[in-house]
Amino acid sequence: MLIAPEFNSRPVISFQHVWKTYPNGTDALRDICLTVPEGDFLFLVGASGAGKSSLVRLLIREEKPTRGRLFVHGQELRSLRRRRLPQFRRQIGLVFQDFKLLPRMTVHENVAFALQALGESRRVIAHQAGAALETVGLAGMERSYPNELSGGEQQRVAIARALVHRPRLFIADEPTGNLDPATAWEIMQIFLRINAAGVTVVMATHNREIVDVMRRRVVAIERGQIIRDDRYGTYHEALPAAAVRLR
Amino acid sequence: MKLFRQLLFAFGSAWQNFWRNLAVSVAAVVSIALILILAGTSLLLGHALGQVLDSYRHRVSVLTISVADKTPLASVYDFEGQLQARPEVVSVHFVTKEEELKSFASDPRNQQLIEQIEGNPLPAKIEVKVARLDDVKRIDALARQWRGVDRTDPTDYKGDFITNMLRLSTWLTIAGLGMLAVLTVASVVIVMNTIRTAVYHRRQEIELMKLVGATEWFVRGPFVVEGVMTGVIAASLALGLLLAAYRPFVERFRAELFFLPLSYDPRFVHVLAQDLLVAGAALGALGSYVGVRRFVRL
Repeated sequence: MLIAPEFNSRPVISFQHVWKTYPNGTDALRDICLTVPEGDFLFLVGASGAGKSSLVRLLIREEKPTRGRLFVHGQELRSLRRRRLPQFRRQIGLVFQDFKLLPRMTVHENVAFALQALGESRRVIAHQAGAALETVGLAGMERSYPNELSGGEQQRVAIARALVHRPRLFIADEPTGNLDPATAWEIMQIFLRINAAGVTVVMATHNREIVDVMRRRVVAIERGQIIRDDRYGTYHEALPAAAVRLR
Repeated sequence: MKLFRQLLFAFGSAWQNFWRNLAVSVAAVVSIALILILAGTSLLLGHALGQVLDSYRHRVSVLTISVADKTPLASVYDFEGQLQARPEVVSVHFVTKEEELKSFASDPRNQQLIEQIEGNPLPAKIEVKVARLDDVKRIDALARQWRGVDRTDPTDYKGDFITNMLRLSTWLTIAGLGMLAVLTVASVVIVMNTIRTAVYHRRQEIELMKLVGATEWFVRGPFVVEGVMTGVIAASLALGLLLAAYRPFVERFRAELFFLPLSYDPRFVHVLAQDLLVAGAALGALGSYVGVRRFVRL
């Protein structure tokens, strides 16, 4: 049985019986009910094709739910108008496995780009981009190009870009998937700092070690359904203590 | 202020992207320039033909009615009044026998002839200018029914010539419109595909813009500005080439076919420049707008 954790703060994300069915008839998500309160740190785990990425795509309104209601920051995403979409996305910071940096732009330009899109002034852009790069430990590397950086550094730039417009919700899709274990831990430290500042973090991951060590909320998905939602969970369902002793 | 900054970003980004993707930009400039050269050539040819046709049209839109010698002046004035009252008539001018002889004598080619003739064999004339060539036939019929007309040579109506000219004019208009339609469709398709290639190279950038919360117009703006820039550069190139060729073409043509009233028209150069620059900018903007639409839609 699925037991929703108890929360004291208001929800940032609320899935209410959400289904996602693709035109070929495949149910990518089935009857998802999930609430994420403000300031939470949530790992989304599951095998490839389980439905993690579909869930992330719904959260950033790249796709619409087929059925059910999905609220993010109090906005119902199925009925969200197209012209309101930019405003909605400005409240979210996004990080991807493949960094998605623009190779022809410098580190500073890659980060500043997100603010330019919002029409911010040069002064604000310079200040906020500098602060974001400092947060991820890349101060002094503003003029470098992505191909001159290591994988970890590139992911830091991507995090700085996601942070620069000060979002209240951070969504990361396999952010450590392309990184070695040591670098992955460095990246996780940054996510923890961001979360400590009150930002809600939702991270889809395959990294068992990180999930097991951090002991944060874990939502496991299998064949489009949530099969587990643990307050301080692990990657796989913890075996009862007796079962562990018998082994 | 935000709008101004976003405009500034669109211009800056368009300028930067034009140079960063120079190969694609050059391809776009060349394709638009070729289309505009074709369009400009057809405009120039159309204008030259128009000049020739206008000159003939002017000549045949005036119908000269010969007045019989013994026609009373009152009858002439009466008929003149009837003609003037008709809506298709622009002006009516009565030329007396004396005026006609004076005009005939003033032509140096008629000097020998004027010395040999006695009295005044030339008839008085009524010159009727009509608004449309199609109406000449009706006025001619009316003149022939008038009692005061000279029965031996009633009018100088050139029926076949006018019919042929009207037919030629109609066909030229249809051909011009057809060519313009084909060129417009072809150019929009070519520009759209060229710009779509440029956009495809930058789809990741567009994807990111959308994900960080850029509006559709913020994403589209630089592409449309870049399209206008490309169009204007192409139009300038096409214009330069056409202007370089226009005067030599007219001179060559006049040397070969001296009897055709064709001349270099500096006023048309302004019209051509304006048309090509506007067409270039519009083509670039439209091509970009349509080309980028699929990628930009949130």
